[in-house]
Amino acid sequence: MTLTLTLSLKRRGNKLPRPNGERVGVRGIGVEMNELTIALAKGRLLAPSLEIFEALGYDVREVRASRKLVVESGDVRFLIAKPMDVPIYVEHGAADVGIVGQDALRESGVNVYEPLVLGYGACRLVVAGKPALRDAEWRLLAGLRVASKYPRCTQKYFSARGLSAEVITLYGSIELAPMVHLADLIVDVVDTGRTLRENGLVELDEVFKSQAALIVNRASHTLRASEIRGLVEKINGTQTNADERR
Amino acid sequence: MIAQPLDRQLPYGVADLFFNDAARKRAVERTLAETFARWGYAEIIPPMFEYYESLAAEAGPQLREEMYRFFDRDGRTLALRADFTIPTARIVGTKLFDRAMPLRFFYIGSAFRYEEPQAGVRREFTQAGIELIGANTADADAEAIALAMTALRALGLDDFRFTLGNAAYLQATLRDLGLSDADEVALRDAIRRKNTPELARLLAALNLAAEPASALARLPELWGGTEALARAVCVNAEARAAVAHLRAVMARLAQFGLEKFVTLDLAENRGMAYYTGVLFEGFVQGLGFAVASGGRYDNLIAHFGANVPAVGFAIGVERVMLARKANATIAPAVIAQTYSAQVEAARAQGRVIEVDILNRGEAALREYAHIRGAREIWWRDGRVEKL
Repeated sequence: MTLTLTLSLKRRGNKLPRPNGERVGVRGIGVEMNELTIALAKGRLLAPSLEIFEALGYDVREVRASRKLVVESGDVRFLIAKPMDVPIYVEHGAADVGIVGQDALRESGVNVYEPLVLGYGACRLVVAGKPALRDAEWRLLAGLRVASKYPRCTQKYFSARGLSAEVITLYGSIELAPMVHLADLIVDVVDTGRTLRENGLVELDEVFKSQAALIVNRASHTLRASEIRGLVEKINGTQTNADERR
Repeated sequence: MIAQPLDRQLPYGVADLFFNDAARKRAVERTLAETFARWGYAEIIPPMFEYYESLAAEAGPQLREEMYRFFDRDGRTLALRADFTIPTARIVGTKLFDRAMPLRFFYIGSAFRYEEPQAGVRREFTQAGIELIGANTADADAEAIALAMTALRALGLDDFRFTLGNAAYLQATLRDLGLSDADEVALRDAIRRKNTPELARLLAALNLAAEPASALARLPELWGGTEALARAVCVNAEARAAVAHLRAVMARLAQFGLEKFVTLDLAENRGMAYYTGVLFEGFVQGLGFAVASGGRYDNLIAHFGANVPAVGFAIGVERVMLARKANATIAPAVIAQTYSAQVEAARAQGRVIEVDILNRGEAALREYAHIRGAREIWWRDGRVEKL
């Protein structure tokens, strides 16, 4: 059992708080970190991710059954986080490894290792708009406005093409934006394309394909090299087996 | 939302330090300065700003983009220093190129980069590091790495590991492939991220000859101890020399007893654009990003006139402070109620004595002494009260 937070309360017997008291960090110093911490993205990636760890012999029932955000299982500890947050936990070293969609990974722009893709959670990030734009030269539109949950990827896509798009960051129901003339285009993930169709939008271009990926913190990769190498190889093994079954 | 007045705010990426944090920072800097000095390094103090043209030399597009730039009254572009290596290279290339080599310099100070929020990144940050100039031997590289490790130990960060790669290996492997800039950037990025699937996809699309393709394809796996070097495919003499050089550096580090703290990694190709040879990063337990990073830059000083090889590293002082147990304090040893010869004598001996200047009453002074963390109160009548 490890503590993730320690507070040093011993202060030479005085009871008054000090204005210059020391800060105490999470995953702090002087705290022995024994378990490998694995951040998993909530949502549609969670069930297949848990199947991988179940196949490796970890007990993941508590993750499935409870709403706990931190669950210990054997020699690992699972953190359950929002997809967009998983790369951040891993980059800062709050988690040693993580499983997250490449869409969230690209959007976060973090500096981590990405040794494996996992084959599930396939989707595509696309540019979409009203059907009239399909034949129109939308690249030539002046004052292009683009709504997206992926402002960084969107900005990068348009900048790379020499287009100055005004990116409007929204947090959900992106398809609404063109209907109410909030934006000319949207950049969003599509799975089957049904949501686009039902809202009268068509795909204009693909930004990139995405699937679930295993990511590794760069410090953990060398500080816990053998554990990480073992885990990556084992997960890769489950993937190969899954491919053979298909 | 009502706009907040700016006069009480701080811009993103800078910090105010006071009390124990300021003391801890200075303690870290002192320890590093003493450690570097003991290895024969002398301090170099470049200016805080100079012409953008000097600082942009060999800086690479990313670092150039991140520089704080402004104009002087003649309309010339100035920039705040974004690291210490480029100013040091300018000083050596223009002024010190004919001195006896090697030159050993250390530096401590603020550097400035307009960086996106990222783990462990601030816009004004403190670098403490060394440059070892005028040698391109494995001994020089080993000294830089050994000194970085010694410096971390001096700071009490004993549980460290370093990654060590050689930029020359990937450079040599890519050299004769005739790749477009875009393809080379994509390949380097996939290799840097150890993104094996993406790398395989890129290589399949590029239709390379079998030997370089297999050399590149296995790069994400080429890390570990010296046995990893045996698995490297070398497409030309330069690539072989790059691998042999890493072996030689590891052999020197073994003499220091430090090779066991190194993870070799031939896929490493991050860091400064001016790196030409070994590159290394130091990681400590409890911190998710590198606390030290460095490398060899044999062409940078040549930009300023003299062809002199060099290697160096910088330690991130703020990162050290995140990783390190606090052991510096501003607490005075004694609070004295009034000045006395005794106070002067104790100060002369190096004890920290604070004298009350608010004429506090007994209870108030005792409470203040508690808050300040003092060990003793010296009362006006000569009584010494232990706390």
